[in-house]
Amino acid sequence: MAYTNAVDKKVTVHSGMENVVGYILLGGVSLSVALIVGGLAWHWAATGRFQFEYPIGKMNLARFVSSDLQQLIAGPVRPRYLINLGIATLILTPYMRILASVLYFALVARNWKYALFTAAVFSALTYSLFGR
Amino acid sequence: MALSFESLFLISLAAGLVGALTGMGGGVILVPALTFLGVDIKHAIAASMVSVIATSSGSAAAYVRDHITNLKIGMFLEMFTICGALAGAVITLSSEQRLLQLVFGLVLLFSSATLFVQRFRGRHATTQDVLSRWLELEGSYYDQAAQRTIVYKGTRAYLGGPLMFGAGLIAGLLGIGAGALKVLVLDLVMGLPSKVSTTTSNLIIGVTALAGTSVYLAAGLVDPGQVAPVVLGVVAGAFVGTQLLVRLRNRTVRNLFTVVLFVLGIEMIVRTALGGK
Repeated sequence: MAYTNAVDKKVTVHSGMENVVGYILLGGVSLSVALIVGGLAWHWAATGRFQFEYPIGKMNLARFVSSDLQQLIAGPVRPRYLINLGIATLILTPYMRILASVLYFALVARNWKYALFTAAVFSALTYSLFGR
Repeated sequence: MALSFESLFLISLAAGLVGALTGMGGGVILVPALTFLGVDIKHAIAASMVSVIATSSGSAAAYVRDHITNLKIGMFLEMFTICGALAGAVITLSSEQRLLQLVFGLVLLFSSATLFVQRFRGRHATTQDVLSRWLELEGSYYDQAAQRTIVYKGTRAYLGGPLMFGAGLIAGLLGIGAGALKVLVLDLVMGLPSKVSTTTSNLIIGVTALAGTSVYLAAGLVDPGQVAPVVLGVVAGAFVGTQLLVRLRNRTVRNLFTVVLFVLGIEMIVRTALGGK
């Protein structure tokens, strides 16, 4: 009986993690699509066309988001800021999933092996997204 | 040449639709179609890479909550695929367009061939090597069709890891999910049940695409004017494709797609040989 309880508990804890991962992914993609669609609809309402040209230079994600937010705060809100935020949200979605996994394996499951693996993935992605 | 917003959206919609119907993902159709219409291949690869994050995360969200995806196996293998994707994307930045076009053509022909191979499933592993046991590569899921819980073990992690580096390299290099390749490794090398392979591969693809995207963003290849219609088109196409999937016969779709991939592959190789972009 004790064995069954232990297995049940493991399954429940693990399902909790699966739900968290599922909702992070779903929420991230939905928010991102909503921002891009909102930005495009606004751009269309203002200009009468969907086409927009706003190439960005070489930059990491931190600069991409911060320059967008700065302009958003400083000047009038423009559709393209929403579109950029939508793209940034999309890029951050799997990143948040990895962060949640690190926390889960370190704090909830206390599985140091996997806490280390996910932390390695998280560090590599952090460097690649923000360190350039 | 800059394609109009509407053209980019429609091409991506078609790519997302076909990608979802066949389970191959949209990138493998999107990049050849965009380059055929004159988009620079590196920009096409970057836009496709971003869209792969969206389709993979969207479907992984549903699969993970169905409790079929094996998070541990996914997270172990992600260490290898992201290293591969980072390396692949860096190689793309310094490669000539024609070389990329040729490699893409060869990958298309290979993908076409794997659709034949997919009918040969690997045997489920019953024993584990020491490393795979230490890595806790095992799990169980409730199979609705069989109406029972399937308990499985993963094996040959020492081989699966390095091969996943290769799959990540192809993904980062060409801006595709390379899901077919990942499923092959999970199925044939690591001995996982096919449902676990497909769903776990889907989870890995999102993070792998993120690694590739980070390199393309830093190189200034992510152009919001191109990425926005491509992401929306692929997501909408994938959504419609998933709804249609239940109504279409699997074999018809598969045969059609095998031919499409073959033709696209030949087209890209011929275009390279003739010196066109």
